[in-house]
Amino acid sequence: MSDTMNLEDYLAQGGVLTSPANVPPRYRGELMRLMASFVDSELAASAGFADTINDAPGITSRIAACRITLEKADHAERVLRIMGEFGADTARYAVHHPWAARVARDADLGTSRHGQDMRLSVFHYPFEGWVDAVAMNVLMGLATGVQMTELTRVSYAPLAEVFRAIAPREARHMELGLEGLKAIVATRAGRAAAAAALAYWRPRVAASFGTLGSARFETQKRFGLRHRPNAALRSDWDTAVTDRLAPLDLA
Amino acid sequence: MARFHPLQVTDIRRDTRDSVVVTLQPADGAQDAFAFTQGQYLTFRREFDGEELRRSYSICSGLDDGHLRVGIRQVDGGAFSTWANEQLTPGAVLEAMPPMGSFHTPLDPAADRHYMGFAGGSGITPIMSIIRTVMAREPKARFTLVYANRQISTIMFREELEDLKNLHLGRLSVIHVLEQEAQEIDLFTGRIDADKMKGLFTHWVDPVSVDQAFICGPEPMMLTIAQGLRDHGLTDDRIRFELFASGQPGRAKRPAPVQVADGAEACEATVILDGASRSFRMPKRGVTLLEAALAQDIDVPFACKAGVCSTCRAKVVEGEVEMAVNHALEDYEVRLGYVLTCQCTPLSDRVSVSYDH
Repeated sequence: MSDTMNLEDYLAQGGVLTSPANVPPRYRGELMRLMASFVDSELAASAGFADTINDAPGITSRIAACRITLEKADHAERVLRIMGEFGADTARYAVHHPWAARVARDADLGTSRHGQDMRLSVFHYPFEGWVDAVAMNVLMGLATGVQMTELTRVSYAPLAEVFRAIAPREARHMELGLEGLKAIVATRAGRAAAAAALAYWRPRVAASFGTLGSARFETQKRFGLRHRPNAALRSDWDTAVTDRLAPLDLA
Repeated sequence: MARFHPLQVTDIRRDTRDSVVVTLQPADGAQDAFAFTQGQYLTFRREFDGEELRRSYSICSGLDDGHLRVGIRQVDGGAFSTWANEQLTPGAVLEAMPPMGSFHTPLDPAADRHYMGFAGGSGITPIMSIIRTVMAREPKARFTLVYANRQISTIMFREELEDLKNLHLGRLSVIHVLEQEAQEIDLFTGRIDADKMKGLFTHWVDPVSVDQAFICGPEPMMLTIAQGLRDHGLTDDRIRFELFASGQPGRAKRPAPVQVADGAEACEATVILDGASRSFRMPKRGVTLLEAALAQDIDVPFACKAGVCSTCRAKVVEGEVEMAVNHALEDYEVRLGYVLTCQCTPLSDRVSVSYDH
């Protein structure tokens, strides 16, 4: 064993990087892209949930919507702070795009990015009222839970630490959604609306796992920024959705 | 964007033959900017032969020590570390960014934690800061330091560690592992490997008792120790890393000389990504280099497309370009030839940019 080793070998063996000074250029690009996608998605999600606060049917649900709106913005800020350590102008970044902007409800974006920001495609679709927002939050919350199994072990240690701090709070957002969904399906009309909303969101959230067999995955894997392919994550999510919705007779 | 502040050198102490400990005093009004958390580092900048060089060095002071000190070991061919070791004198003024880094865990005066630190060579620097802080702020805490060096004469902070051990009897233990000098106990001679980690956790430390581990050193050591810790039941959230990378370049290279712009409407552009070059023609106006590369299905990194995030940073290796907006790159990066490709249009007939540099 020598004192030095090739950085790619080090990363391939599970090594971690710890500051902008020890990050090589290509790694930097992929790391920044990963962080930007998360920040943009959280900011877009926060902006979307902000609009649902006034749709909330009670005080508890209003508090839940406020909390999700607040914490998603907070999570974006934590990751943006790390982008700032790489030179990003964080103040400008936070306002460089209208995060509340949405496409038409019936648009079909597939898995591709859209417009001028890096949010996951699912965050471009608009909510139609409270039930719709709750359904999306449950499905996307479960997707985030699966994505967190990857994000909490990214090879850039300061970012992995942020994700480990964020993960339980994101999990709580999903649980708040599940509690909301339980209340909604108590009535026949509510159940029908929930089923329709889930049917709308399920393929769109599925698309947020990206293309299957993505070429970029291999690059990200080489850098320790990803570990399991999109198809495996999506399959885990499918199972989680079925497990969580079956007790409500919605799977 | 981070800002540089002046720091006056008030003392330089030679620690080993090839390392110094530098005491720094922020200028009036800048003290707040240098309030630090244990385990953080400072990034310095200095010009060498007209080229700006930046280097990060960890703070070795504890939170309650009342001083700001960094340890700098001389690296072969390292311009900054050699200069600091051979020419820096008290009274000199350095420029540094406020402390950065997340090589720390929250302090709790009531907790009786058992910390372990693994340091390789100058990797001791941030761990000194953590030890000094934890000993002072967590009266019930214990700390076991495993410290790897080539030989006794290269051990940084050797006397200071002895003093700390005597001051905090029973709370701080130090295990020196020396590569080239035999010690009474075989376990402590040679390099730290999987067997040594096993021996350590069999005879010296109960792994179940360890609440938090800190590792700082070069790449192979980080891998070996992290694996050893995981094998003995420590989860990733209880292991903190600070990499002292071996791969930091000694000197940044200047970009190739630029060609003079001329009148043609189109440009022959080359994009280098992951070692592969792709060439294509693009107009000199109306399309950015990033857009042109994406149109060729080259999977170059980008995010904001507004010149603020720097995800699309690349280096111009041939030709000349113009950047419309730049909110992310600093002047010294621009001087070295870095550009935001989302803001670039070509000026010369041939342009080559690399995302690998």
